[in-house]
Amino acid sequence: MPKHEPVLLKNMLQPGYTGSLADYERAGGYQALRTVLGKIPPAEVTHMVIKSGLRGRGGAGFPTGVKWGFLPKDYTGPKYLCCNADESEPGTFKDRQLMERDPHQVLEGIAIACYAIGVETAYIYIRGEFALGAKILEAAIREARAAGYLGTNVLGTGRTMNVWVHRGAGAYICGEETALLESLEGKRGLPRVKPPFPATHGLYNKPTVVNNVETLANLPHIITRGPDWFASIGSPPKSAGTRIFCVSGHVKRPGNYEVPMGITCRELIFEQAGGMRSDKPLKAFIPGGASAPFLTPDHLDVKLDFESVAQAGSMLGSGGVTVMEEGTDMVWAALRLTEFFYHESCGKCSPCREGSSWLVQTLRRIVAGQGRMQDLETLTDLCQNIAGRTVCAFGDAEVSPILSTLKYWRHEYEALIRAAEADGPTELLMPTAARH
Amino acid sequence: MPHAAVDTVTLTIDGHHLTVPKGTLVIEAARQAGVMVPHFCYHPKLKPDANCRMCLVEVEKMPKLQTACSTPVAEGMVVRTATTVVNEAHKSVLEFILANHPLDCPVCDQGGRCDLQDFSHQYTPTTSRFIEVKRVFPKEYFSPLIETQMNRCVQCLRCVRYCDEVMDVKALAPSGRGTMTEIKSFLHHELDCEFCGGCVQICPVGAITSRLSMYEYRPWMLKRADTVCTYCGDGCQITIQTKDNQLVEVMSAQGAGRNNGDLCARGFFGYHVSTHPDRLRHPLIRRDGVLVQATWEEALELVAETAVRLKLAHGPNAFAGLIAARCTNEDLYLFQKFMRLAIGTNHLDSSARYGQINGVRALRRVQGTHRWTVTFEDIVSADALLLVGTNITETNPITGLKVKEAVKKRQATLLTIDSLEPAVGAISNIANLSSHHFSVHPDRFKPAVLGLIKAVVEDGHVDPTLAQRAPAYLQTISDSVQDLSWPAIEAATGGTPESFREAARTFARSARAVILIGQGVLRTADGYGLATTLLDLLLLTGQHGRPGCGLAPLAEENNDQGAVEMGAVAEYLPGPGDLSDPAARSRVAQLWKEDLPQEPGLTLMPMLERARAGALKAMFIVGENPVGSLPLSAKAKEALQSLEFLACQELFLTETAQLAHVVLPACSYAEKDGTFTNTEGHVQAVRHAIDPIGESRPDWEIFSALSVLMGYPLEYGDAKEILKEIRSLIPDYGRLGPAPTPMRPATEAVDGYLHTGYATDAADRYALSGTGHEARGAGNDGHLTLLIAQSLFHSGKLSTRSKGLLQVQAEGSLTLNPADAARLGLADRDQVRVTNNLGAMTTTVMLAERVPKGLVLFPEHFDQEARRLLTVSTDPVTQVPYYKLTQVTIERL
Ligand SMILES: Cc1cc2nc3c(=O)[nH]c(=O)nc-3n(C[C@H](O)[C@H](O)[C@H](O)COP(=O)(O)O)c2cc1C
Ligand code: SF4
Ligand code: SF4
Ligand code: SF4
Ligand code: SF4
Ligand code: FES
Repeated sequence: MPKHEPVLLKNMLQPGYTGSLADYERAGGYQALRTVLGKIPPAEVTHMVIKSGLRGRGGAGFPTGVKWGFLPKDYTGPKYLCCNADESEPGTFKDRQLMERDPHQVLEGIAIACYAIGVETAYIYIRGEFALGAKILEAAIREARAAGYLGTNVLGTGRTMNVWVHRGAGAYICGEETALLESLEGKRGLPRVKPPFPATHGLYNKPTVVNNVETLANLPHIITRGPDWFASIGSPPKSAGTRIFCVSGHVKRPGNYEVPMGITCRELIFEQAGGMRSDKPLKAFIPGGASAPFLTPDHLDVKLDFESVAQAGSMLGSGGVTVMEEGTDMVWAALRLTEFFYHESCGKCSPCREGSSWLVQTLRRIVAGQGRMQDLETLTDLCQNIAGRTVCAFGDAEVSPILSTLKYWRHEYEALIRAAEADGPTELLMPTAARH
Repeated sequence: MPHAAVDTVTLTIDGHHLTVPKGTLVIEAARQAGVMVPHFCYHPKLKPDANCRMCLVEVEKMPKLQTACSTPVAEGMVVRTATTVVNEAHKSVLEFILANHPLDCPVCDQGGRCDLQDFSHQYTPTTSRFIEVKRVFPKEYFSPLIETQMNRCVQCLRCVRYCDEVMDVKALAPSGRGTMTEIKSFLHHELDCEFCGGCVQICPVGAITSRLSMYEYRPWMLKRADTVCTYCGDGCQITIQTKDNQLVEVMSAQGAGRNNGDLCARGFFGYHVSTHPDRLRHPLIRRDGVLVQATWEEALELVAETAVRLKLAHGPNAFAGLIAARCTNEDLYLFQKFMRLAIGTNHLDSSARYGQINGVRALRRVQGTHRWTVTFEDIVSADALLLVGTNITETNPITGLKVKEAVKKRQATLLTIDSLEPAVGAISNIANLSSHHFSVHPDRFKPAVLGLIKAVVEDGHVDPTLAQRAPAYLQTISDSVQDLSWPAIEAATGGTPESFREAARTFARSARAVILIGQGVLRTADGYGLATTLLDLLLLTGQHGRPGCGLAPLAEENNDQGAVEMGAVAEYLPGPGDLSDPAARSRVAQLWKEDLPQEPGLTLMPMLERARAGALKAMFIVGENPVGSLPLSAKAKEALQSLEFLACQELFLTETAQLAHVVLPACSYAEKDGTFTNTEGHVQAVRHAIDPIGESRPDWEIFSALSVLMGYPLEYGDAKEILKEIRSLIPDYGRLGPAPTPMRPATEAVDGYLHTGYATDAADRYALSGTGHEARGAGNDGHLTLLIAQSLFHSGKLSTRSKGLLQVQAEGSLTLNPADAARLGLADRDQVRVTNNLGAMTTTVMLAERVPKGLVLFPEHFDQEARRLLTVSTDPVTQVPYYKLTQVTIERL
């Protein structure tokens, strides 16, 4: 198995590493912050990040330095950084590990970003269920403030960088950056219509950058080891750096694997994660979290970088790789994910709100042996009518399990329906619409 | 400040080329091109939320369909709204929206005027492919006046956004997620809000409806009449809908009237007053001490004969007349003409005397206008707004919305001097939006205003041209405010010198400044003087006379302004022209072809005094109820009982009408035609919605009939003929409809004021001494100051007969600060006894953070008992009776 040098997970892989400030400093932590603070002009830091080719790890893969550059130039009022730690995408669990095991790496990243974009206040919006992570981060912030890495006079430079942890209340949609901002403002977490984008109209209508935990955690390394080093990892120029893939499902060793972007799916699943858990062959996998369309064994040699996965008809998304073995009922799998999306649709826009409930009911009916052939037509139609017509990208996400399973495993749907039809006409099973 | 030229953008929509201002939304541009893009969540009053996705259109060069409601136009943009792709998108979005909709149109009050019905008709096939289960919300009680039916909700959030963005009430919220989203009040308690009805009006479907008329009609059965609300000076345009001469509902169309379709609870839910079972249906004549039914002939003849007899015996000045400013201009005009010609006296007054006259007289004195020099539009586009003594949300809710719009949407700076504290509650509180709030007791507005002026003078914010134009004026004011000490101002108001300085700086530097004053100024001692002093503030800062700037006194009653302009007050002839001005007199005399009485007339309070003294013999009282409105100590009842003859024209048998010898049943606004003039001087058409109740007749018709019987015929075919005569005296009344350009200050008047006019009372107006004592009325035996205040849910006593409004507020209670309550050992809803040396009353208490410590509020609409505790003082110049404040002690029962 090829060995890849871990960057983000490096510290925590050391035996005995506790994630304390002392441990982090011993491992060279906060050197990057010292390097930039007052020594490298903020614009230069942004330039370094652009040069490194770092792209967002939250899902959309937007170039990080470019995003920073969208902040208004001659603006002197308040602006904000929000660290998106809402990690709720099914099959994704990397940010949680980064925060719980090496919180100072995230904080140093935040501090560097604050410096680069001239922000004095940063919020970490953390998924509500991550009670432990929130506690660890808060303790780390206290440590960092006491040591002068955060607070009002950071490292004696007179700069202010205050970091606050805000816990979510249990809605997947609050990971969407504008819903996150609404929620942070104390409102109901509903996505905003874009444009305007957060860069100009963000938190409290002020210029704001939203970055994922993993994105920010990369910053200290880009500073210490240089943008060229970063740009040389993975499949540059479009997919530089490592990615933490969260492998789950029917594999021998589920877990987080940090590898350079561009290794193949086969290597990740069969070498890093130890291959299938039993002798059953692989049947399907999702390469980038529940929002990414399913892929098949034919795609095992697709490179895990933004472009290649997109070309294969899916997306790299959040890096959550879920693997399914032969024998998995793909209609059921689609239903499972659709149940999730139905539960999480915020309800703001009609196609997503009504569509998710319609889709889930139809799927439940098919799985329960009450399907009809024309349901497949309707499902396809509904999916097409949702995608691209909603306020946020959730709409595109929720249809991907259905469209991709219909694409590759339509026969499984048809078999279920034919069996139902063979049983003769039955009274329609009425699934209940109320939750729980 | 000159406004920058508006940039424009040229685009193409469905082949129409058009040029629209930059920033216009595609949906609005389409509307201008005559293209209707289907929509639910979009509403011109609200920020785009683009949640329904109904308005998808094709925009050339954009890969995805765009929502027309949230996409601003761009140069050269090519938009298509009717391609196959767009049509399919509309169909599919509608299919989604209908998936969970119950389609219970036959039992839905919105049926027949429902956007969902209309778009479904346009886009959907007759069958649906939705074969799953619709989600069903169990029916839940929401509020006494507003019903929700959440199965019909399309989750467009218009109601929620309206309640927040426009009303600033924030009573509604979506609750639950996805298809389980429901609109609820916060914390799911019974709705507690302003009951403006805005959510009912703005809901595109039948998910929020009025309970007052639930299931009573189908929209197409209703007859509509566009008219004007009778409950406050804002003058909202309303559409009264009726069925079989019954009032079914009131609405106001988007964009209609000065209110732009917005209403308050009184306008939306208060309409049943007109058809109240207690309405007087026949004339009544007192026989053997009892009022008994009579015919119109009997009653009119009795009034006319008695009038002629008494006039012969005692002369015209033994008569006096009083009319409510709720009447139409035509009623008011004919009333004063009747009094001045048929009777021959100037002893006449109207309810404008309770406060409005203070504002008008200050404006005439300083700038020679009787109206505002600003419009509602100027309020919306002001840079700085100073509100003094007005709880504007409750007294003039729609003017309040203009202020909210200025602050919330256009970032105007709001400065407030009022007794209420900023605090969140069920009713929006304008002080919450204020960035410079001075929370002063209701008898301390004057020192606060003087604080502002002192800061203006001391900090060099005085208009530099003033030194040349009016050196003596400037000197006098500068000297006077310099004589005031900051510690004394701080002691009186609680405001620090710094806070006055900051407020003064903001106000003085703003390009467009508007001052709004309400009942706290106009109906409180010194009202006339303080209104004048606030005009000084504008003069000093150079804002006076600038377009978009001015002082705006808020009228309480719907036609307060009209009453003054019609000359239905002792000192003014129609115009208004000064009775004492020979030119004004001769103008009117020429038109009337008759000489006018010259002897100055009595105003309300001296009238009552003279009646009590036996010097007055007869009174005509039209819609006014001094016995029910004035404090007991004013002895109105004794005064009227001393008369030989009292005739009343009324809707109801009020306390005053009960004393009458003849009571003539009058029509309410819902049965009348004519005009009202709103607080900004906008003349608007009143149209009857129902036939007169019983035998009631419009007031003007009664004056006309009486005049004929008395031998001084004032005959008119209808209200329009009277309006024609009014127009020949006041050209402004020639135009109903769109906002007139506001009046400009008359230069000679301003010069006159700056030269000598200011001096007569400058010493008093600029003295701190004396403030805050005389208004304390009953003497310092109390711990708390009682303020009789206006409530949002009522208007005078009239609305206390509205079944809708009574469901929101059915009785008066005493509102006080929780800290005071704690000090007195009181809890919410406790019974208390309120006393002072004049009397006592019992009532319940309610706690509210917005009432400052030391003050207690009681609503005037239910003040029958409270009026025992009040004394009256009269303004030395304008004779406005002041009686809203007194000192009391409170103890738990
Ligand atoms: C429905 C939805 C859920 C999302 N959830 C997350 C999340 O949990 N964490 C995250 O970092 N980004 C999430 N995103 C992406 C964010 O909107 C945003 O693109 C990201 O935080 C930007 O950070 P980055 O540029 O560093 O990736 C989500 C997006 C959508 C549409
Ligand atoms: S797409 Fe779904 S999750 Fe996103 S805003 Fe619309 S309803 Fe909410
Ligand atoms: S009636 Fe008015 S204040 Fe009350 S909830 Fe509706 S919009 Fe809000
Ligand atoms: S109640 Fe009416 S206005 Fe409110 S969200 Fe539902 S449909 Fe829209
Ligand atoms: S009471 Fe005043 S604000 Fe309310 S609807 Fe009537 S005119 Fe409008
Ligand atoms: S009207 Fe445009 S999305 Fe609702």
